[in-house]
Amino acid sequence: MNSKQKKSLFRLLQVGLILLATLIMLVPILWIFLAAFKNHIDVFQLKLLFKPTLQNFLTVFEPPYYLGQKLVNSTVVAFVTVIIAIPIATMAAYSFSRFRLVGETAMLVTILATQFVPAVVIILPFFVMFRDVGLLDTRIGLILVNLAIVMPFAIWMIKGFIDGIPIDTEEAALVDGSSRLQVIRNIVLPMAAPGLLTAGIFCFIIAWNEFLFALILTNRDAVTLPIGLALFKAEEGDLWNLLSAAGIIIMLPMFTLALMIRKYFVQGMTMGAVR
Amino acid sequence: MASVSLKNLTKRWGSFVGVDNQSLDIADREFLVLLGPSGCGKTTTMRMIAGLEEPTAGEIWIGDQMVNDALPKDRDVAMVFQNYGLYPHMTVFNNIAYPLRVRNTPKEEITPRVQRAAEQVELTGFLDRKPKALSGGQRQRVALARAIVRTPQLFLMDEPLSNLDAKLRVSMRAELKHLSRELKITTVYVTHDQIEAMTLADRVAVMKDGVIQQLGTPDEIYNDPHNLFVAGFIGSPAMNLIEGSISDGIFKTIDGTPLVAIDAADHAHVTVGVRADDVAALEAGQGFTDAIVYAFENTGENTLLTVQCGEQRIMVRGDRHLRKEQDETIGITLDPAHLYLFDPESGLRLRETQTN
Repeated sequence: MNSKQKKSLFRLLQVGLILLATLIMLVPILWIFLAAFKNHIDVFQLKLLFKPTLQNFLTVFEPPYYLGQKLVNSTVVAFVTVIIAIPIATMAAYSFSRFRLVGETAMLVTILATQFVPAVVIILPFFVMFRDVGLLDTRIGLILVNLAIVMPFAIWMIKGFIDGIPIDTEEAALVDGSSRLQVIRNIVLPMAAPGLLTAGIFCFIIAWNEFLFALILTNRDAVTLPIGLALFKAEEGDLWNLLSAAGIIIMLPMFTLALMIRKYFVQGMTMGAVR
Repeated sequence: MASVSLKNLTKRWGSFVGVDNQSLDIADREFLVLLGPSGCGKTTTMRMIAGLEEPTAGEIWIGDQMVNDALPKDRDVAMVFQNYGLYPHMTVFNNIAYPLRVRNTPKEEITPRVQRAAEQVELTGFLDRKPKALSGGQRQRVALARAIVRTPQLFLMDEPLSNLDAKLRVSMRAELKHLSRELKITTVYVTHDQIEAMTLADRVAVMKDGVIQQLGTPDEIYNDPHNLFVAGFIGSPAMNLIEGSISDGIFKTIDGTPLVAIDAADHAHVTVGVRADDVAALEAGQGFTDAIVYAFENTGENTLLTVQCGEQRIMVRGDRHLRKEQDETIGITLDPAHLYLFDPESGLRLRETQTN
């Protein structure tokens, strides 16, 4: 066997292993994808050939499931969370990155440390506080909780991107005649834009998928999609075909965003290459 | 256009002294170079003039204004950074136009002024490109154009050539010199490269440890160094600095080898400086003393000999036809007219002889 043959054999092996790994990861999703188009009789049979139906996607939006309202809740909560989180996180991240603050390290570590606290531990105080101020089962309540979850993450992530902008560039803009705010608007924000977008998408995904807090803090009006899935546990057993259809509705935006992230993630990573 | 005046300027970070109580007057239209090894305070001095660093004490005057409390944008200076400091998300045109736009220059003025600046640095063909599509030399030209587009009172240049490769550095140096003579704007230029300092400057301020060691024309700095540091820092190869003693008009090295007859009073401990050009390489026995060739280097345009003389090594520059072998014995003679005497303790020049 010459080296060329060895090379192509190795390549074949490589492709095979990648395919195998992909298959293992994708099998559950494939199952859900198939189940979503099956009727409730076919759903427990692992056959690939069946008469596909779109009925499941219609049923989930009808009474008693009302997935539409939950879709709106999830969308509003996730969007508003991101729209509030990213500007605030950007300001915080810029300050941490560029100014020498009193107690800077302590603050940064504290912000990071909040990420290590298990959600279950702080859910009770949230529940009691929200009950007292009337935020239980409201979108505003959920947005506040989600902000608490995504902000530390967003601050750290955006700080990393701003750290990557050469300080020379900002100083050049200062000497060229910009005020600090002009520097941020004209130089920092455009240069950090891929990073801000990446952080925003990550935050959106976190808020969109958030389950535990939504489960405890909502029961009717502000219920989000992940909680909505639990509705399909009926007396006659789990309605897997409806569950799968709802699952696909939840996953679809995630897949779209993941594709977007991939593009901007590369941009974000290579940012600051021009010195 | 304006003069610049630093009065008792000091910068400290905690107990670390970056710039130590320095005063300096830069004349209108002068090209002043701050020269020194890294960490000597030259860049800090420039950053304080730009307003990017706040002085701990002292005053900075640009023209007839004290600018200590002025923001960088209000000081009317332009700066070229070592890493260019370009805006990577803007085209070359927008990079150059930025100082005009941010100062609310009328729109119809911007294009012709950007064009003219681009012409001056020979960049006209690249205005639509982003900085990442340019070579290092072209990026540095963009930075230059951005500085000259706005006729500031003062140019600040922070090692602008040090990121370029050696060949490009030489040609950019000449372009810089041409441009600065053409623009006639007061310039402060920071470098650790003595050739840049010598070739570009009207005056050079040699700095070390936050203190200006000597301020003078390139000629003065090279031919009349005030102390050991300046003598050793300027010139390539560095000046030979030989410790020893003088008695009865003869300088002997520390190990007692007589090296040169010198018209000076007796000194128990003294450092003699002599440039490689002022030492003659002769045949064995024909010089003042004999020495053994430690290394022979041919640079093409001339030759460099390192000779061992007792425990002392001395650099000698020969003409380009000179050929010597390693370990060969040769004679050397130091030119008594071009010797510099220094006090080895204080490092200061001793000016008691008639030499030089």
